[in-house]
Order: sequence, then C-alpha cells, then structure tokens
Amino acid sequence: MASEFDFSRRGFLTTAMAAGAGLALQSSAADMAPAKTPPSNRIRYALIGCGEEGNVLLDALLKIEGIEIAAICDIWKYARDRVQKGLKKNNNLEIPAYENFEEMLATEKDLQAVVVATPDFWHAPISNGCLKKGLHVYCEKMMSNTMEGARSMVKTMQETGKLLQIGHQRRSSPRYRFVLNYLLRDLKLFGRMTAANAQWNRAVTPDRGAAKAITMKPELLAKYGYEDMYKFRNWRWFKKYGGGPLSDLGAHQIDIFNWFLGVMPTSVTASGGVDYYKEHEWFDNAMCIYEFKLPEGAMRAFYQVQTTTSAGGGYWEYFMGDQGSIKMSENPSITQLFREANAPDWGEYIQKNYLMLKNVPAVEEVKVDVRESKPLQAYALPVGFNKAIHQPHLENFFNAVRGKEKLNCPADEAFRSESVIHKACEAITAKRTLEITPADYEV
Amino acid sequence: MSEQNETATTPTCWDATLAFWLLRGWLGLRAVMTGLEKYAQMGKVMKPWVDPKTGAADPGGAMVEASQKVYALANYSPIPQSMQDKFAAEPLLPAVMLKIFYVLLGPALILLGVMLWLGIGTRVSLFVQGLLYIMLTAGLIMIKADDGVAWLAIHIVMIAMALVLAKHNQLCILKKW
Repeated sequence: MASEFDFSRRGFLTTAMAAGAGLALQSSAADMAPAKTPPSNRIRYALIGCGEEGNVLLDALLKIEGIEIAAICDIWKYARDRVQKGLKKNNNLEIPAYENFEEMLATEKDLQAVVVATPDFWHAPISNGCLKKGLHVYCEKMMSNTMEGARSMVKTMQETGKLLQIGHQRRSSPRYRFVLNYLLRDLKLFGRMTAANAQWNRAVTPDRGAAKAITMKPELLAKYGYEDMYKFRNWRWFKKYGGGPLSDLGAHQIDIFNWFLGVMPTSVTASGGVDYYKEHEWFDNAMCIYEFKLPEGAMRAFYQVQTTTSAGGGYWEYFMGDQGSIKMSENPSITQLFREANAPDWGEYIQKNYLMLKNVPAVEEVKVDVRESKPLQAYALPVGFNKAIHQPHLENFFNAVRGKEKLNCPADEAFRSESVIHKACEAITAKRTLEITPADYEV
Repeated sequence: MSEQNETATTPTCWDATLAFWLLRGWLGLRAVMTGLEKYAQMGKVMKPWVDPKTGAADPGGAMVEASQKVYALANYSPIPQSMQDKFAAEPLLPAVMLKIFYVLLGPALILLGVMLWLGIGTRVSLFVQGLLYIMLTAGLIMIKADDGVAWLAIHIVMIAMALVLAKHNQLCILKKW
C-alpha cells in the first residue's frame, strides 16, 4: 500500500526544492489528492443496523469517494449513539440517528440508497420497504432467515426495478475474481474439477450480554420482535431471528462453490446438532456434502462449520482438480495452489504473472505409506488489493447505482445460494439426503 | 582583495571558470543527491495486474505488489544502521554529538549542495561541506573503514581544488563569501 508520504514526481521536486531552501520537506498533498466528487453528484445513503457488521461496513463506506452518509438507524440507542459520536469525533460528520427505519425514510427525503446490516429476520421487511420507497439497497447476507423472506426480496427487486445487492463480498473481491476469470475459466489450470471442500472453524465464544444501563426496555424489544435482551444480543443462534452458523459463516463459502463451479448442486447430505451450547436453537456444528453435476462429470463439495474449536484457525474454500488445486481464502497468507505431478509445467504462468512460487520451509521428505503421493511445490497468487475487505463489493453497488457497472451479487443470484443453504438445514433436520431441483431456487 | 577589486583587476580566465563550474556542478550534485537519498527507502506499492493476453489492467481491480523507491520525511536515515551501531560503540564519539550530527547531516548536505549550485556563499558552502566530510572521515578512521576514508579523501581534494578556483566563479547569486 502506498504510504501517505509517497511523493509524486511533481510533489517530489517541490519538496526537494523546499528542502534545499529551508530544510523543510513538505509533501504536496493538494497535487496528489484525487479529484473530489461535487456534492451534487454524491450518492446519499443511510446505514440501517449499527452493530458489529454495520461498523465493519461503515469503515469501508467511509473510504469510498463520491458517496455521503446521510443518516443512521438502529433500534438500540447504545449502538446508534456510539456510531453517531464516532462519526462526529473521527469524521467531523453530524448525522441524524433514528430508531425506526420507516421514520427515517419519511424524514430523509433525499436518500438514494441504504445499507442494511440488521439481524437476518429484519432484512426482508427493511429491504422491501426501502425498495418500495424507490431506494437502492445493499443488504448483508443471509438475505433472510426464511425462504419466504428471501423470495419476497427478489420479487420486490424485480417489481420496483431498483437494485438489491446481497453482501457476499467475495463476489467482488479482486482476488476471487482473478482466480475465477483467469485461472479457472481462461487457463483451466486445475483440469477437471473432482472435489471441493470448505470450512470455517471458530473457537468457543461466550454468549453476549449487556450492562443494565444499556439494556433495552422489554416494550422496545417486543416492538421490534425480540423476546428479550439475551436473544437480541445473541440473535444468530435463534431460528426466529437468524439462520445459524451454516448461514452466518457457511453462506459466503457455499456461495463460492456455486459461483466457481458455475452450476447449482443437485443434492445435499448433511448432519449437525446442538451438542455444545445448550441454550441455543441452531446447530453449533454442521457438515454437509453437496453433489454437483458438471459437464465433465459429477463431483462433491464438503462443507464444515464448527463453533466449538478453531482447530488451528483459518477458513478457506478448497477446489481440487486432476491437474491442480487451490486453497482459496480471504486471508492471502492461507491461499495456496498446487500443481499435480502429472500436470503440464506452470513455469509459463509464473513468467506471465498469473502465479508465483510460494516459499515453504523445507521439510524432510518422509514417506510413511507407499501409497502416499509425492509432496507438491506450493504456489501463491501474485494479486491482492489495498482496500477494506468489503469495499470492492460496496463500490460495485454504488457504481451500479450510477449505471457504470452491473451488480456482482444481485438478489436473484444470491437467492440460489440462499436456497441450497436452507436446504442443508432441512437435510440436517430430516437426517437424509435431499434432492435439489431448479424449483427450489425459482422465485 | 575586495569583491569589486577582484572583478575589476582579474580578467576572466575561461579555462579556470569552466573547470570551476565542473567542480561546482559535481560537488553540488554529490551533496544534494546524497542528502536526498537519506530520505529514500525501497517500499512495496500496489500496481494493477496486467492481463498478458490483452495488455490491459484487470477490470476486476486485482493488484500486484511491486518494489518502488519511496522518498519521505519519515524514511530519513542519516547513515546505515550497521554503521551507526559501530559509531555508538566508539568511546571517542559522544552519543550527544552523534545525535546532533545525524539530525543535521541530510538537511545540511541538501542545503550546501543547493547553495553551491546557485552560487550563494560558494566558499563557505565548499568549506562547510569539507568540514562535514572531515567529520565523517574521523568516524570512518575509528571503525577502520579504510576504503571509505580514501573515498572521502578524493572529495576533500576536489573541494580544495574548487576553493582554489573559486576566484574564477561566474554566474552566482551571492559572490561574497
């Protein structure tokens, strides 16, 4: 990432002269600053949901040129005050804060877009309400904790003609797009895809609480559909509010199966349970196997989510072909590729900067079983991006609002992934393999 | 001899003037560039990944890391750290003096080089530049960096030659001093 002290050529000469004359080096910031978007051309948006995810999105939003935050909304005064004060203190922005999104829409007449980061069960009512008011919507995944809710969002998007982007941020990640467009599609680097797996293992996390002083009153919680403060704070674990770990953590990664493979799965076998956290409703562990029928033949993709062990940490999506494999992760240090010993040489691709050799510590080659394959040289991706992790996806949304790009994850596309995740939950409950047909992801 | 008398009585000797200009240009360049380089570091920058098939930057925004020299105030390093460590271990080099020397070295070289180029107090700038090199030489002698001592000796000889030829100076802003 370029340092804030980097000199442009012009800035450098200016500084050098200043140094020579007066021993004072000053960078020419004005010369280097990007052209500012005039206020009249800026997109005014509101953030609905000021919790943990809302704050992550806000951090990325504030880095995007040409957009302007106009309001924030959260039912919890503590959360909205914290964001409101943070914007004032850190960004010198005085932004109105609302408890109710409908009141906000009625008051803030010049909004063009909203970013929704509330608990899942509010996604559909809020997104639908905003779309019907003529706003474009960026909504965090999962679309909804119910298929009906998710389906209604797609329908409203189609009826209103407004944009509805779902927050599968990997869909706009330059690294993921690089792998899909160049390595998988152009070069077909990994040959015939024969298996995939993905996992997210997370260590035991205690339930969240709230100090008495910031606890919401029961009437206020009830007004917005919550039974109590405990369930409000731990909504992800309850079916009324969220979709559980398969939805929270798995949704992104199962979406990558579908996106990278270019087809939808035809069946799912799954198992899971509430085995560790006795207060929760949703499975604290789940394992599922999706079957895909690719033009070259069938393959299976295994997904595992654990909330009781980090098992060494890291999360990834691993695609395995007969010519090579890629262990893909949002974390670049985890990402690596392997060429099968019988595959054509990848030297040309290193020369062309599609790949680079990965330095791995030398280990003594010990074969404990004669059937063990020879260890492979690891490769790395040469590409990255110097932005907040959600920024490219948000930029894609706002560029689409301007008509400059197409959405990378419109609701109808996200709904397909949504349907197969809900199907996995059904399979766990049913304790059997379930077929997945196009009817499952029809709107 | 006063400045007026010097101008009036000494006819322009173009051979000497040209020789002085060469020395002035080289010594000025040496000082300015050495000073500026103390603000330089090799840094990592992100550049767009270029598709080898089309020669165009990736529309998806993929970037590659590349090494690039970056000049910045924050990069200031008067001399290499290994040399600073050796100087710090020398009992004849007080820490306070070293600290002052390090703070002044880069800016002083830039200032003296620019003075020499512009012809502002040419003799003073040459002489102070010579003093700086003598101070550096003292340190290098202590740490037994003999090749560096010889290197700086060449600089001192050039500065002395420039001082001898300074009376043939032309094109300067402040001829006095």
